[in-house]
Amino acid sequence: MEETTGAAALVSALKKEGVKHIFGIPGGAIIPVYDVLYEEPSIKHILVRHEQAAAHAADGYARALGRPGVCMATSGPGACNLVTGILNAYMDSSPVIAITGQVPTSLLGADAFQEADLLSIMLPITKHNFLVKNVEELVEAVRKAFVIAMAGRPGPVHIDIPRDVQISKAKVKIPAEIVRRGKERYDPDPRRIEEAVKLIEGAERPVLFAGGGVIWSGASPELIELAELLGAPVVTSLMGKGSIPEDHPLSLGMLGMHGRKAANLAVTECDLLIGIGVRFSDRSTGDVRYFAPKAKIIHIDIDPVEIGKLVRVDVPIVGDAKRSLQQILRALKERGRRGVRSEWKERVMQMRKDFAPKMDYDEIPLKPQRVIKEIMEVLDDDSIVVTEVGQCQMWAAHYCTIRGPRRFISSGGLGTMGFGFPASLGVKTALPDKKVIDIAGDGSFLMNSQELATAVENGIEVVCCIFNNSYLGMVKQWQDLFYGGRRSQTYLGKSPDFVKLAEAYGAWGDRVTRPGEMAPKLREALKCGKPAVLDVVIDPEEHVLPMVPAGGKLDQMITGD
Amino acid sequence: MKTIIFSVLCENVAGVMMRVSRCFTRRQINMDSITVGIEPSGLARMIILFQADDKMASFMRKVLLRLEPIVEVQMLEPENSIAREICLFRTRKLKEEEMSETIRLIQSAGGKVLEVREGTLIGEIGGSHEEVEHLLSSLGPDLLKEVARSGQVYLSRKGSDQDSGGI
Repeated sequence: MEETTGAAALVSALKKEGVKHIFGIPGGAIIPVYDVLYEEPSIKHILVRHEQAAAHAADGYARALGRPGVCMATSGPGACNLVTGILNAYMDSSPVIAITGQVPTSLLGADAFQEADLLSIMLPITKHNFLVKNVEELVEAVRKAFVIAMAGRPGPVHIDIPRDVQISKAKVKIPAEIVRRGKERYDPDPRRIEEAVKLIEGAERPVLFAGGGVIWSGASPELIELAELLGAPVVTSLMGKGSIPEDHPLSLGMLGMHGRKAANLAVTECDLLIGIGVRFSDRSTGDVRYFAPKAKIIHIDIDPVEIGKLVRVDVPIVGDAKRSLQQILRALKERGRRGVRSEWKERVMQMRKDFAPKMDYDEIPLKPQRVIKEIMEVLDDDSIVVTEVGQCQMWAAHYCTIRGPRRFISSGGLGTMGFGFPASLGVKTALPDKKVIDIAGDGSFLMNSQELATAVENGIEVVCCIFNNSYLGMVKQWQDLFYGGRRSQTYLGKSPDFVKLAEAYGAWGDRVTRPGEMAPKLREALKCGKPAVLDVVIDPEEHVLPMVPAGGKLDQMITGD
Repeated sequence: MKTIIFSVLCENVAGVMMRVSRCFTRRQINMDSITVGIEPSGLARMIILFQADDKMASFMRKVLLRLEPIVEVQMLEPENSIAREICLFRTRKLKEEEMSETIRLIQSAGGKVLEVREGTLIGEIGGSHEEVEHLLSSLGPDLLKEVARSGQVYLSRKGSDQDSGGI
């Protein structure tokens, strides 16, 4: 066996894991790795303009493909700039592998130039992290990182590599198998399945509540089958959006603070709620004391920590969503289970019809609902909508009709402004043949707008639709509703001119101000052969409604009617 | 709230203590006692005591189990466990009559005198937490100059194959 450097061993190990793309920025402490990448044709490195964007791009890449995305940075400031993106991936259970350079082992803890204690900094925001001391540990850490990131509930893993480890030579073999005590319980306890089936059989008004876990376990077919077998409506969390096609007659859309009225009412009225791969976040439940007040709750999740954490659970099922649903379906079919009483199904269908969101506004300035309606006319079923955070995100979540998993990608748990645009670059890199748009706000977009350079230089043709209301809109909305309209520090003003900004970077830019303009301009942008920015001037007074105030009851929404 | 006792089996790797302790810190739980020892298998066992209700205890058990280096977390019940603590202490310089009284107190409590040098005594007491506490309080803060305690270690009477506290 030949001796290789740590850097070469790292790149070999990444290739073996099937890595095709890395998002990153080089720096002093990781030059040896970049030196190996210089002549590595099978891995394309995408040079971003800020490390935060590398982490978000890797996150978007991972969510689009269902496999780990990789980001890379140098020590100290480079690695610290990854932190927000890594935490974002952690909160939304996304398998991101972060690789950073570190000062040489001999200088660890000596306050060396560009040194930061990344082992401590990354520890609470990753599923696991490594500071490797030699080449053998490095290759083993890579193998482990990819396994851990995808095992059970996915999540980010960080590997910190001192510079001397990158350049030292050793004879190492990439381990085929790693020794790891598997923690994940994929197969549910049959006794719990039995209990769940009993509750389902006794239920008259069941509701299924699907989260990101359904998407990660590939359980959409089983979710739809169970909904159809029971005649039960499906509501989703933000992460679960797309787990059931949203034009399916049993889909009620997103639940929660900015959820659809029919979804919130169905959960309030149901007598059985089956949560699948969800974590019952406060944005979904409102005040937990009044959440699904008439219902027994079955909670299926692969992470036992989530079960019983926030809401009372009658039947806890620790296991993979797909396998758990398969077993429930099998048991129900064996017993010749038919759908629920037709009154409930009729009630749900009626609510779905009565509270269907209105989108056909003709006003100027544009209403965001109208803009989304036109966007939806242009996109295919398998196009991917990525969002920034804030009002633009909640409008997208509320009004976009998503017809399959991994086609709606958004920062849920952390709510990271600046996520959408770099994440969309990751999505488009993963799926270059799909249409990828970022539904952005002017505030969010400006937090990572420098990535226009990355998009242009790498020919990543995403279209960023900026819902421009010249405000930090969601904060302004709270100020309007709960702080007497005192808009403290939320007016952003008219700068920059986003069309000129796009053009300055060499991207395509255009402005949308009138009803009927969005669809043709989006078609043009998607065909223009460049990354594109559409500056969509919307009504600054528009709120995201309905809204359940923080800590409120789900059936008591501010509707604005 | 009551005293919860965790017996945590984990890989003996750098940083594992920090991974465990931050799970408590984040939730503003103060650990009353933490001890670590290496098992013959090469794994480490931590005994952690803290105050919580049953719901929080069960939650913390699951939180710890999620950590990569953690192998097993047992929730020990005091009535089904054996607990021990060891304590070393040094007295101030004692007068002759104080010395003989101190030695008598230590011996009657089941402790040992390890060393007497220039009127200062170093002693040891091992036993239950209460036995240790009893001797320390009867010697009193005026007499004791320095005390080093191991923290409490627990061993379940039932053995580690019987799980507790999980779903």
